[in-house]
Amino acid sequence: MGQVAEQHDRLGRRLKRIGSMIAVMSGKGGVGKSTVTASLADALTRKGICTGVLDADLNGPCMARMMGVPDFKPSPKNGSMTAARNEFGIPVMSMGMFLPDERTPLVWDANSQRGAYTWRSMVEMSALRELLSDTEWGDLDVLLIDLPPGAERLQNLVDLLPNLAGAIVVTTPSVVAMKVVGRSISMATDITNVEVVGIIENMSAVVGPACGHQDKFFGETSMVEDLAAAHDVPYLGKIPFDHRLADCLDHGQSYLQTHRSKPAATAILSIAEQVFSWTKTKSS
Amino acid sequence: MKFLCVPCDQPMNLHSTHGPFDGTMSIVYECPSCDVQMAMLTNKAETQMVRSLGVKIGGRTAPAEPMETLRSSLAVSHEESASESSSGGRCPFTGVISDAMAAAEPEAGIHWSPEALTRLEAIPSYIQPMVKRNIEDYARDRGLSEIDEGVMDAMKGQLGM
Repeated sequence: MGQVAEQHDRLGRRLKRIGSMIAVMSGKGGVGKSTVTASLADALTRKGICTGVLDADLNGPCMARMMGVPDFKPSPKNGSMTAARNEFGIPVMSMGMFLPDERTPLVWDANSQRGAYTWRSMVEMSALRELLSDTEWGDLDVLLIDLPPGAERLQNLVDLLPNLAGAIVVTTPSVVAMKVVGRSISMATDITNVEVVGIIENMSAVVGPACGHQDKFFGETSMVEDLAAAHDVPYLGKIPFDHRLADCLDHGQSYLQTHRSKPAATAILSIAEQVFSWTKTKSS
Repeated sequence: MKFLCVPCDQPMNLHSTHGPFDGTMSIVYECPSCDVQMAMLTNKAETQMVRSLGVKIGGRTAPAEPMETLRSSLAVSHEESASESSSGGRCPFTGVISDAMAAAEPEAGIHWSPEALTRLEAIPSYIQPMVKRNIEDYARDRGLSEIDEGVMDAMKGQLGM
């Protein structure tokens, strides 16, 4: 038990230098959590807010690529692991940095993979704890934690981080996604007692590349706003799908740097402003 | 977790460990007062579960290296994420277990037949090191000096792959 306590002490010491830790979550996969995480980190940094990114999706890591550091390999230094820093100085840590290449899946060493369900989640929790506690984050105002899909992921994170400041929930305006996301919000607010910073409606429309006209993906609807109201959590805004945003993140480039006037960029900056205001309110 | 010697009302000390052999190991504790010994046997799942916790049986004498459990538990990792010191790194849940595993790693005396090597090379590269080590452990535990296709067939079911 002493060693487990020491692990938690080590985590606590590291996280003292981080202002607010915010999870980016969704019960549903494919709604754009990682896109939102990378974009918010970019936007917050441009506002002068020291922001870091932890890729907590151990089995599907993508933040290293999205943040422009796909080839970075961490190394030990003074008892910590160095974080990657992208061209804007944002520290990034991801499981993918420990794997040989982007084709290699995460396989844990074991005498047999049979029966892995009995220990896999435990070793993943240990790995996640170490990614948090052993990374040299420096002094941060905000650490964004990109969670994998699944309502239970937030609960696992809260077990590690009882002082998690809040969670941003991402959804698309599809009925199927929102039903699942609604459960995740209930999990956050009712079971894990995590404050929801707000809901982001991602891929709300598609932007014509030439004319800038927006076509709805899912028809005219206010379902996500209704979902936010039903759970009494803030609605942070909608981000239209822009293939240039996807292209930029595929290549680790800043969308805000090159497409600042586009509707999606305006939305991201507005949402980042609200997130920052929320953190200021929480810390005051 | 500690074991108590009931007659002496003393916590027992770690005495020695044996294994892991085929994923199982025994950990021997001894009472400092009466020298009575007891052994705890772990099966494969229990060994792996303790390993997953990132703790060291018998207590630590040195602080954990950064991301020790993560780096030592990967079936294959990037070579550049190697240890800061030459001695650390692969030390998952115990000097005990990892030392024993390290001791089991040398391949001296184990010969691979060409057919067995061909089959090994057909396995995805990212799990080859783990599979190779497990098969060699399997052969070593049974006193075999050569790994041929028959050994691989016998081992196949145990790998779960």
